[in-house]
Amino acid sequence: MAGPGIPAYLGVAVFLFVTGAFGVLLRRSPLIVLLSLEIMLNGANLALIAFSRHWGNGDGQIFAISVMAVAAAEVVVGLGLIVAMARKKLNLDVDELSSLKG
Amino acid sequence: MVAAAWICLLLPLAGALLITLLGNVLSRKAAGVLATSSVAGAFVAAAVAFVMMLGDGEHHRSHLSTGFTWLSAGSFQADFSILLDPLSMVMMLVITGVGSLIVLYSIGYMHGDNEERRFFGYMALFVFSMLMLVQGGNLLLLLVGWGLVGLSSYLLIGFWHEKPSAVAAAKKAFIINAIGDATFAIAVIVIIQQTHIVGFDALSALNPDNHGVLNLVALGLLGGAVAKSAQLPLHTWLPDAMEGPTPVSALIHAATMVTAGVYLIARCHTVFESAHQVQNIAAGIGALTIVAAGAIALVQTDIKRVIAYSTMSQIGYMFVGVGVGAYASSMFHLMTHAFFKALLFMGAGIVIHALSGEQDIRQMGGLRKLMPRTYVMMLIASLALIGFPLTSGFFSKDAILAGALASGPYGAALWVLGMIGALLTGVYTSRLFLTVFHGAPGDLVLRQLGPDAHGQGATDGGHGHGEGPRTMLIPVAILTVLALGGGFIQVFDWWTGMQTWLESVVPSLHEPTGWQEAISSIGATLLGLVGVTLGWTVYGSRKDTAPKPSRSLEHKLYFDELYDRIAYAPAAFIARFVTRVVEEPLVIGSGDLVGHVTRGAGEKARLLQNGLVRSYALLIALSFAVMGIVFLAVR
Repeated sequence: MAGPGIPAYLGVAVFLFVTGAFGVLLRRSPLIVLLSLEIMLNGANLALIAFSRHWGNGDGQIFAISVMAVAAAEVVVGLGLIVAMARKKLNLDVDELSSLKG
Repeated sequence: MVAAAWICLLLPLAGALLITLLGNVLSRKAAGVLATSSVAGAFVAAAVAFVMMLGDGEHHRSHLSTGFTWLSAGSFQADFSILLDPLSMVMMLVITGVGSLIVLYSIGYMHGDNEERRFFGYMALFVFSMLMLVQGGNLLLLLVGWGLVGLSSYLLIGFWHEKPSAVAAAKKAFIINAIGDATFAIAVIVIIQQTHIVGFDALSALNPDNHGVLNLVALGLLGGAVAKSAQLPLHTWLPDAMEGPTPVSALIHAATMVTAGVYLIARCHTVFESAHQVQNIAAGIGALTIVAAGAIALVQTDIKRVIAYSTMSQIGYMFVGVGVGAYASSMFHLMTHAFFKALLFMGAGIVIHALSGEQDIRQMGGLRKLMPRTYVMMLIASLALIGFPLTSGFFSKDAILAGALASGPYGAALWVLGMIGALLTGVYTSRLFLTVFHGAPGDLVLRQLGPDAHGQGATDGGHGHGEGPRTMLIPVAILTVLALGGGFIQVFDWWTGMQTWLESVVPSLHEPTGWQEAISSIGATLLGLVGVTLGWTVYGSRKDTAPKPSRSLEHKLYFDELYDRIAYAPAAFIARFVTRVVEEPLVIGSGDLVGHVTRGAGEKARLLQNGLVRSYALLIALSFAVMGIVFLAVR
């Protein structure tokens, strides 16, 4: 089996995950936050698949497929919420949605 | 005979249970009839037992019958048993005899009341309790009966429960009686602890040399007797108990329950004879009560309260009797007193009934013409109370006084007090009688009973002068005959029916000589008549000029005020003190503190929530980072 070793895959995976995490923490537009979440998930998926390949075990790939399914569902809900916000003419800014403030 | 006694005991209980359980199924009238017939049936059973007992030999008249074992703990055993002997026989006959007459009377008296069934249920329960008290075959059952009569007395005093004063009176009676119940119970516990048995034979099994125990037991029993019989200083409940319906006063607070103390001392006479100082105290309390109650009766204005104080005074005579060892004379007076005092109450009840509930004697007057039958029977009852020659009270009261005189110098002092009591009896009885029946009729009387009255009296029953229906007059007539002739059971020492009957159970300690009998009879009768003359000159027809009563008598010698000071006021003070020092700072304060702390913590914790989704995400991420570092470091 050729190709790069496991550290390279993990390096890319960590890069994707951190990029996504910073996106979630720093950006204020819900659309970008959602997008960043997807990037984080993809980072995780990449790590799963890399390990699966490394150990020659299919479990990780199956797990990655179910994560994708969850991510698809999440995008449906998240985009639905964002469309609802837009329809109500709310500002697309997560910081303004602070009614949970104690 | 024993079977008859059991029937006598259980019939009134059955009556009470039936009336209670059947409830609305019974008509009101039927409840009264059921109560009357159950008590009357008990009387028949008692009479049968009495006749059979007459056939027994003089010294074989005591029968102990055990129903079942009630309690048993190790070697200790208490049976549910009844004791049938001449002493309990006398009480059974008086209770069921007078009781059935009074229950019959109450059918008429309570007619139209809202809760007649409850009343008759209570009455039957009371008769059962009283029979339990006198028939109980051991000290524990006597105590049970003692408590049960207290309960039924409470229920009946407070029968008109929508009247606050009646409820207060019922509570007062219960609380003051509880003092006596407690001392009585202590005495019983001491007896059990000393002898390990509860039968009446335990009384003679007490070690006669252990004076401490004997005195303690005797004092405990005396405390119970004093409270139940309304003697000084635990008498204050009896006048208030007059808030109950009049038949209740007649049955419980004149004829039966209040004399239970006399029965108790007679039943436990062996203990009192061994602790003779306590027996002397009993006699002294009785003598003081005679005079104090007689004096208070002089100034009371409520017809029933006057009679209540007179009851206390008469029970004082009985206490003197049992205190000096003249048991038979006391029981004799108990019986005749049941007749004439029940009669007085029933007469008072007829008057109150006719005047639509008025009890103030100042509102009455001139009833002689309007209520001739009541007049005659009240006259006879009053004469018996005064001790007019040949009436029942004459024989019995004089027998007690003669017994006191025969018992020595202390008895002579009691005799003097008893004589003063006889004088007072004459005065207050004539005052009551004259103000109610003589003189000019008051406005109220004319309105209710006058020639053109259309009040309750004229329409109710529709015969006589508003003197009530036949069910009220028949028992009154029977009691009149008994009050008049009941004394002939025992006539000095020529015919000593009661003395002989009780000799095998409670032998009297002293035998009065002829001159002592004579001086007591003549003295008491003369003083009684002097009292009547005094009363006649003061109160006869000129009630406006009666002397102003002294303030201390009007306040009933300040007993209620005294108890207020020594019992109520300190308790209220302590309660207020505890409220201020313990409850408010500690109990209420600690609750407040918990609330404040929780609230404050919440106020602080609230600030953690800033509502910014990104900061939550950051916290989650940081937490994971911290956890990851920790896991790595710990490994």
